[in-house]
This record gives sequence, structure tokens and C-alpha cells, in this order.
Amino acid sequence: MSLVSGPGRGAGMTEMPAEMRLFADKHVRYIQSLDTRKDELEYWLTEHLRLNGLYWGLTALYLLGHSDALSRSDIIDFVLSCLHDNGGFGAAPGHDAHMLYTVSGVQILATLDAFDELEKRIPGGRQKIGKYIADLQDPETGTFAGDEWGEQDTRFLYGALNALSLMGLLDLVNVDKAVEYIQSCVNFDGGYGTSPGAETHSGQVFTCVSALAIAGRLDLVEHDKLGAWLSERQLKNGGLNGRPEKQEDVCYSWWVLSSLATLKKLHWIDGEKLTSFILQCQDPELGGFADRPGDMVDVFHTVFAVTGLSLLKYPNLEEVDPV
Amino acid sequence: MASHGISRTSGTLVRSEEQRQNELQQIATYKDLVDLVNTKVAERQYTVEVLGLVTKLLNENPEYYTIWNHRRRVLIALLPATPPDSDDASSPERPHEFIDGDLQLTFALLRKFPKCYWIWNHRNWILRKGESMSDTKLASRLWSGELQLVGKLLHADSRNFHAWSYRRDVVAQLQRLQAKAADSAAVRGLVESEFEYTTKMIKANLSNFSAWHNRSKLIPRLLNERQANGTTRRKMLEDELQLICTAINTDPFDQSIWFYHQSLMSTISSDCPRESMIVQDLSNGERLRHYAREMEYIKEILEDEADCKWIYESLLSTASFYVQVEAGTKAFTTLEMQSWLDQLRRLDPLRRGRWDELGRRLNL
Ligand SMILES: [Zn+2]
Repeated sequence: MSLVSGPGRGAGMTEMPAEMRLFADKHVRYIQSLDTRKDELEYWLTEHLRLNGLYWGLTALYLLGHSDALSRSDIIDFVLSCLHDNGGFGAAPGHDAHMLYTVSGVQILATLDAFDELEKRIPGGRQKIGKYIADLQDPETGTFAGDEWGEQDTRFLYGALNALSLMGLLDLVNVDKAVEYIQSCVNFDGGYGTSPGAETHSGQVFTCVSALAIAGRLDLVEHDKLGAWLSERQLKNGGLNGRPEKQEDVCYSWWVLSSLATLKKLHWIDGEKLTSFILQCQDPELGGFADRPGDMVDVFHTVFAVTGLSLLKYPNLEEVDPV
Repeated sequence: MASHGISRTSGTLVRSEEQRQNELQQIATYKDLVDLVNTKVAERQYTVEVLGLVTKLLNENPEYYTIWNHRRRVLIALLPATPPDSDDASSPERPHEFIDGDLQLTFALLRKFPKCYWIWNHRNWILRKGESMSDTKLASRLWSGELQLVGKLLHADSRNFHAWSYRRDVVAQLQRLQAKAADSAAVRGLVESEFEYTTKMIKANLSNFSAWHNRSKLIPRLLNERQANGTTRRKMLEDELQLICTAINTDPFDQSIWFYHQSLMSTISSDCPRESMIVQDLSNGERLRHYAREMEYIKEILEDEADCKWIYESLLSTASFYVQVEAGTKAFTTLEMQSWLDQLRRLDPLRRGRWDELGRRLNL
């Protein structure tokens, strides 16, 4: 997922019926408040998600049209304080480097258009980060490990291709081999799992379809089969689930919807019903979105709710790139 | 940070000053432990004492991935670099005590946090470490124990995809060891018992798609292990179709069942890659007989369940398979296909865009 710049679209908020209202100002304030909760134990227990959390919050703010709600220079300072000498990012200062956070770090720098600043502060920084990612590719299978300890997952493969393409460094890795690996994860339903033989899962469908899109190989996807499977994720209440016979959850608004958008099959589900489901998951008083109506909000579900709404062309939101 | 299924009211209660002070105290204690562990590891104090501190911290926060890395750093220093000589009686027990300790720690944590990637990951690492210090027999025993563990976790949550992935990995490891020991009977026995396991899971809950999925992946392997011929392969296909048709009859509204039905139908098609086929030498006549029989059976269910959209979808997709083999069929009419599509539009308005596109694709 990355942001494309451009004007927000048309229709005024005033035309919206009450139950279709997005409490945008509340969500902005909720995201701004996230870093002020240092007197809550939860803040410290989730330090391993700080950099992703920042990316999620920042993306939501951009889409809500409040890109200036967090200080740009503070963000850059923080991001670079997570960068290790080996070119990988940790979740927070003092945390080990890992693919997941390296991708978030690169995504944040791309969102802020800050690669020049990176080079100014750390000469050769971009190449260094690119090398860290490229070294995690398994030359035998084409997939990627998360870090030096070797866990492999299609999440890391997507992250690697995404970050490298944002930095213009895709030529550092063997893209064809990575594509081959994705093909070995495909199932009869057209979907993909975490590794060869694993069950199709919306999250992995997103990572594999997006990776193929970056590699320019969407021709390999079985559009109708996978589109059908994805469209069956929508339940009667409008929400989307992640696998057959599971419960709906706002985060799948992103995994499923972006995959449908990449396959150009957004019209295979009921967008209006999904919009209304997502909006029911917001906290109208304190801001933020939860997995389901009435549950506790968090920044993870907030960003995927907002990106989902953006793909559904909800008024006054900036456009998001489904890949 | 990513919370699931926690009610909002339980979190937004205003804390009393006393509660706030309590929480600040907890934070201070937690941060002290974090600092202590990070400092000791930075100083390379890779000792049993530090391992204990790491355990304490991981029990409080198993998502803190850096601490799992620290744990491995400490263990690598504590464990012998080469397999212990079996004749050496000086301290044969010690290394395996560390392995056992970490197996216990990760099991206890997985019970509480069955979806935490880092715990699964560390368990895998410690087993590989254990294997490197064992002979083939002991290594097999180590990995076999994992099947029981993962069975317990799947008993608690039969759809946990971490657990299913781990199960497949354990089977792969065991097969690797059996191949090393040239024990082909054991390899086959393992695939057979995994297949039986999916039968058991499906019987317990028909809508367990994870089990259906695993079954679909096991069948081609099972047939290879059995060195099945055309006759036994046909028997397998018949049995599976029988099983799924009974399941459809039990709950025609369950999509897991229909996805498995669809997977079986796709193995019958000549488009199916040979290694995924159940019967590898099906004639077109046999294909048509299968398609016709399925459609007939599904139409029978229709008599009781006229409002089940899956029936119409399956009829249409089976019909598409049919016309791929024989275009000018009299087994069903375009008018019938048209009526199934109309039913889909009526029963499933959420996916209207998809049904419209299907209609255009099928020229209806
Ligand atoms: Zn969720």
C-alpha cells in the first residue's frame, strides 16, 4: 500500500445520512494521541510495533487529508533512530533489525518523500537498506527470510519487493525467482498461503497478488477463480472475513478489497454495505476503528478501515494505491 | 496494538488515581526488566542466569521479538557447537535440558498466545538445534512429539493456520528423517495417518475448511505412496465424491464444503496439472459421466433447498466444465442455465456484479 498524491474527490459531507458519517476529525485526534499514552502499560508492551504503528497512523492521516498532523522532522528523526548499521530497521531504537520494520521504515520515508534527507544524513543509506533486504532472499527458492534467524513467509517476500520498488532498487534481487516461489504457493481456489501447501488466506492473497503486481506478472493470477473466492469473503452484514466460515473483521477490508481492486473486480461485492459496516466500527466519540462494531479501537484497524473506505471511494478521502 | 474481540466498554473506564499509580509501578518494573536484559546481552553475559531473566520477560511479553533473538544468542553460547560424543559420559544430559526447557516454555506460551508468530518460530529453531545434537532416532522422537503438541493446539482451535502450517512442516521434517533412514514404510504410514487425521477433523466439524484443504493436498501424495493404479485411483475419487455429497446434503449452506466440492471437480478437468489429479487417465466419457451425475445429485438437493445459492453456483460451474468437453450437449439447456443465473441474482444480491459478468461470459 502506498499513497498517490492528487486532489480529494467531490461530494460534500453534508449529503451523508447520519449512519454513513465518517468522524474524520475524531480519527485525526485519536492518531495524534497515540504517542502520548506513555502512562499506560500497553504502550510499553507494544513497543515492538512502534514503527509499523507510525506508518499506519501516518497513512491514515494522509488519507484523511491531515498529513501535517504529525511533525515531519520528528518522524524522520524517529525512523532513522531505528536504522541499524547493516541497513535494516528495528521496531524502535534498540530493537533488532527485521524485514517487517525495514519495510515500514522505507514506506514512511517514501510517504514523506524523504529519501533525499536519508542520503544527506546517511550517505549511501538507500543502497545499504536495499542490500539488507536483498541479502535476505533465498537464492534456492526465491523467497525471503524475515531476518538473520531465517523464518520465511510470503509476507516478507511482498515486503521486500514493495520496499525495493519504492526505492527503485528492484534490480538488486531475482524477481523471476520470487515470482516462481509465489506460483508454488497457489491453491486450487486461485488463492495463496504462507508457503507451498498452506491454505489460502486473505492476508497472503494480498501479499502475493501485490508482489505479482509489482513484478508486472498479474497475468499469472487466475482472475475469475480468485475473484470469486475473494467475493465470497463478504458476509450478510456487509463485512469481510479472511477465510471461509470465519468471522468478519475490519482489517480484511484492506486485504480483500485491495486484492479485488488489483484484479479490477471491486464490483464483485456490495461496496455500499461494506462502507456501512466499516463505519459502524468507528468510535464516534474518541475516534479510531475496531475489528467489529462496539470493540476496542486500535491504529491497525484504523488504517485498514480508512484505506478500505478510500478504495470504496468514500467522499473527501485521498486515493490509495491498492498495491 | 491490534486487538481482536475486546469490547470497547472494558477499555475506556476511567482509571482511579490509585489504579494509575499501580500501572505506573508496573511500567517501571517492566522497563527495569527490559533494561536489565538488554544490558546483560549487550555485555555478552550469556549465562544461565540471564536465560532466566529472558524467560521472565518473554512470559510477560512474547511479542517482543528482539528478546527471542537474545534468547537464541544466549543458547548458542550455552549449547555445545558440535554433537556430543555418545561415549563421553562427562555431562551428557545438560544440552538436552536446555532443549526441553525451551520446548516447555514455548508450549506454555503457545497455549496462551496460539497466533504469535515469534513463539512458533522459536520452537522450530530449538527443535533444529536439538536435532543437530541428536542421532537420527532421537531426532525422530523429538519431531514426533510435535505432532501431539500441534494436535492439542488444533483441538483448542481447529482453524489456527499457524498450527496447520506447523503440522505440515513437522510431517516434512519427519519424512526427511525417514528418508535418511531409508524407511519407506514409515513415510507412507505418516501420509496415511495424516489423511486419517483430516477425516477425523472433518467428521468433528464439516465446516473446517483447513482440514478439507489439507486433505486435498494429501491425496495426490497418498496415491503416490500407495503406488495406486487406475482402479484404486478411481476408487479414491468415488469415495471423495461420496463423502462430499453426504456433507452437502448435511449442510448445503456451508461454503467450506462447496469449496472442497469445487476442488474435486477441478481435479477431474483436463486442465488440472497432472500431479494434482486424482485419476490421471480419465477419459472424456468418464468426465461427462461425473459431471452429469454431480448435477443430478445437486438438483435432488434443490428440491428441499430452493433458496441455497451454492446449489445454483455449483450447477453453473459444473455445466461450464461439461460444455468444455462437449459443446452441443443435451444434458441441460441454455434455458436452465439462464434460470440458475437468475436464482443467483435473486438469492445473492451482494455479488450481483459477479453474476452479471458470469452471464456475459457464458453468453446467457
Ligand atoms: Zn483484525
